[in-house]
Amino acid sequence: MILVGVVLAAFFLLYPWLLADDFYGRMGADVLLAAIGASAWNILGGYAGQISVGHAVFFGIGAYLPLLAFTHLGLPPVAGVPLAIVISLGVAVVIGLPTFRLHGHYFSMATIAVAELIRISISNWDYVGAATGLMGPAVSRTWLDLSFRSPIPYYYLFLAVLACLLLLTWHLQRSRMGYYWRAIRAGERPARSLGVPVSRYKLYALLLSAAFTSLAGSLYSLMVGYIDPESGFGILRSVEMIIIAALGGAGTLFGPLLGAVILIPLQTGTNSLFGGGGSGLTYILYGGIIVVLARFEPGGLLDLWRRTSQRWSRWREKAAVGHAA
Amino acid sequence: MLLSAREVTRSFGSFVALAGASLDVGEGEIVGLIGPNGAGKSTFFNCVAGDVPPTSGRIVFSDVDVTHASASAHARLGIGRTFQVPATFEEMSILDNVMVGAFLRHHHRGEARAAALDVIEFTGLKALAQAPAKSLGTPGRKRLEIARVLATEPKLLLLDEALAGLTPGEIQDAIALVRRIHAKGVTIVIVEHIMEVILTLAERVLVFNQGLTIASGKPREVVNDPAVIEAYLGRRHARDPGAHAP
Amino acid sequence: MTVIQVIVGGLLLGAVYALFSSGLTLIWGMMNVINFAHGEFVMIGMYLAFLIVTYLHGGPLVFGPAAAVLLFLFGIVVYYSLIRHVMRGPMLAQILSTFGLALLIRYLAFWLFSANFKTLPDDLLPGVFNVGGILIGVPQLVSGIVAIVLTIGLHLLLTRTAVGSQLLAVAEDREAAMLMGIRPDRMQAIAWGLSGAGAGIAGALIATFYYISPTVGESLALTAFVVVALGGFGSVPGALAAGLAIGVIQSLSAYLLGPVYKDIVVYGLFVAILWVRPEGLFGKAGA
Repeated sequence: MILVGVVLAAFFLLYPWLLADDFYGRMGADVLLAAIGASAWNILGGYAGQISVGHAVFFGIGAYLPLLAFTHLGLPPVAGVPLAIVISLGVAVVIGLPTFRLHGHYFSMATIAVAELIRISISNWDYVGAATGLMGPAVSRTWLDLSFRSPIPYYYLFLAVLACLLLLTWHLQRSRMGYYWRAIRAGERPARSLGVPVSRYKLYALLLSAAFTSLAGSLYSLMVGYIDPESGFGILRSVEMIIIAALGGAGTLFGPLLGAVILIPLQTGTNSLFGGGGSGLTYILYGGIIVVLARFEPGGLLDLWRRTSQRWSRWREKAAVGHAA
Repeated sequence: MLLSAREVTRSFGSFVALAGASLDVGEGEIVGLIGPNGAGKSTFFNCVAGDVPPTSGRIVFSDVDVTHASASAHARLGIGRTFQVPATFEEMSILDNVMVGAFLRHHHRGEARAAALDVIEFTGLKALAQAPAKSLGTPGRKRLEIARVLATEPKLLLLDEALAGLTPGEIQDAIALVRRIHAKGVTIVIVEHIMEVILTLAERVLVFNQGLTIASGKPREVVNDPAVIEAYLGRRHARDPGAHAP
Repeated sequence: MTVIQVIVGGLLLGAVYALFSSGLTLIWGMMNVINFAHGEFVMIGMYLAFLIVTYLHGGPLVFGPAAAVLLFLFGIVVYYSLIRHVMRGPMLAQILSTFGLALLIRYLAFWLFSANFKTLPDDLLPGVFNVGGILIGVPQLVSGIVAIVLTIGLHLLLTRTAVGSQLLAVAEDREAAMLMGIRPDRMQAIAWGLSGAGAGIAGALIATFYYISPTVGESLALTAFVVVALGGFGSVPGALAAGLAIGVIQSLSAYLLGPVYKDIVVYGLFVAILWVRPEGLFGKAGA
């Protein structure tokens, strides 16, 4: 197991050098960025079981603030990151505080309502670029602008952020916080009867998730250098986070990364296969995958793997016993 | 007086589930709540557990007014409960289930784990500690629920039909477990239908019928009380108490 | 004068909102499931109307009932193939199932019909009524009236018929209903069918005066959520009152503040409801 882990870690560390081509480098960066967003969603949706279908709201805030700081104040985009996180936390409180004491569906509905609310508002507000969107620095003025031509620096930046996020998640899920989240997901009523402050812990999960999703959005506009209401706050952005986390395995540590490794190259492939307007087919596929996952394998691929390998080792045991007898 | 409930009522719209129940429980007692289905004992139980707020009345635990306190506040104060239909955390292991309970009193993983293992040993679940809760049958789940709530170190334990659906052998084991818990100093209130359990375990019994408490006293007395027999079996049988203990 | 016209227009539109929201609130009240694809059910009704008019040359009297029947069946199919299974599972599966279904239907529509708006011919329900200076289009008037009648009809179905009382019994207490010999499974399927039918007819009605596109589902679903939240989950009369209210609020916002605000105000109202009175106007306690 450990050997596999070391090999994989080495692969991720050396990937850009192994495939020294900007296309693959960029895809690697895309995979890591998607994994960050999905891992952030996973904290709330996977571990704590609170399903946000409008998570793009935090991504969009994270994506817009840096470019706003650049466009209106001439600052390096990074300067907008902390404020983006603060605003995201504020929005998280507005959504979560009233809904967490109600049934879970209210929370889910609220996430999408607020995401749409903000998307429409931004689309019609000239100061933030309206429907046209905002752009970042064309070339780096100083290194602080973080506007690189090669995808490789972004790759390593995203890798570092993902590693931090996963390390934090790993630590939390072993702690009291993680156990309480899993209890909430498994059953709120019994959790309460054991002294778990359910609403408060849901909120903690949401705040952490919102902060990292916001960061993912900021990283996105740092790399892409452009944002508009649809790519920031659109439903497809939310869908991407959910499907990647759920496909790999919501509630597992590496599920979102696995999902990203599978889906991002797949998406790039189908987009080029079906042409530009093929985004319709890609999303038919996404919708289908989500329905199939929900119906047959809500635990995602990692859960399927775990069950299959358990069944496999039980089968092998029986066969061994059969042999001996 | 560890627990003092006074004139607790609970209505759902125009439907009165509980019309006024009172109960005093002293430290170290085992009290039984019995009564026919729909008599209000579960509603009363849930009010005391903090799951359902009473419409009126007062509940005081350890000198703290808990009438409108949340279920999690109840747990923190030292009231624990099990569920009639076991509500274990299915996908989590037995150890993890119990650790959730232990985390109430021990904030660090190591301590919580050690405390949970102690409870698991005490309740006889040691061999299954790593198995997922969903692999247990109903008796196992009921035992797990008890272990889980014991890990919260309750002063008062509310057992909701914890012995229903068990075989006679399992019932004996469960009674022994409840006795062991009681011996550690935990006060117990038990809702039960199985008379054998009530007669064996409870020092005192409170009888519910139609939202009211209609009798209270020692188990043997209560069981022969005509009002109680009438509640269970109807008026005709009350005239011949000896032959028809419910 | 024009404000009154806006209000009347809002009431008529609101009646249609009430119609498709009443199905949603029925399902939510019965099974605690939110159909994220509800907007897409309405969209299917709209496209059905378009197809029947374009290829079968049928009028409203054809595509109205057709939408009702086809979406009734579709609702039942969705229940048996998907919902029944995920209801017993984790919340993730429950929410993702209808959410994924919404995506699937929406992008299928993109693929089949393209993103271009479609409209029904103007001569289907031609004319404009002039009531004391207030101008009301015939499609809007017909839609509003039909919607109110059907919503009230649903309420009567639930409260006055045997089937209705069985549905309500399952909503009230599943275990007790089973003990009375009612099959919750079948009742829930019927509820999904009714919900689909309501959405389908609403779509067919809307198509007579609004453009048809694959994206309408999203905002319609959110509108339905707000109506259900305001009206109280599980309450059809609540959905009626709330639907009318939301229709008026939406129209007034568009008129007084600008067209973009029609959705912003309604979604903002949703958040406000969650903060202030989540149980809605007529909601069951303990949501």
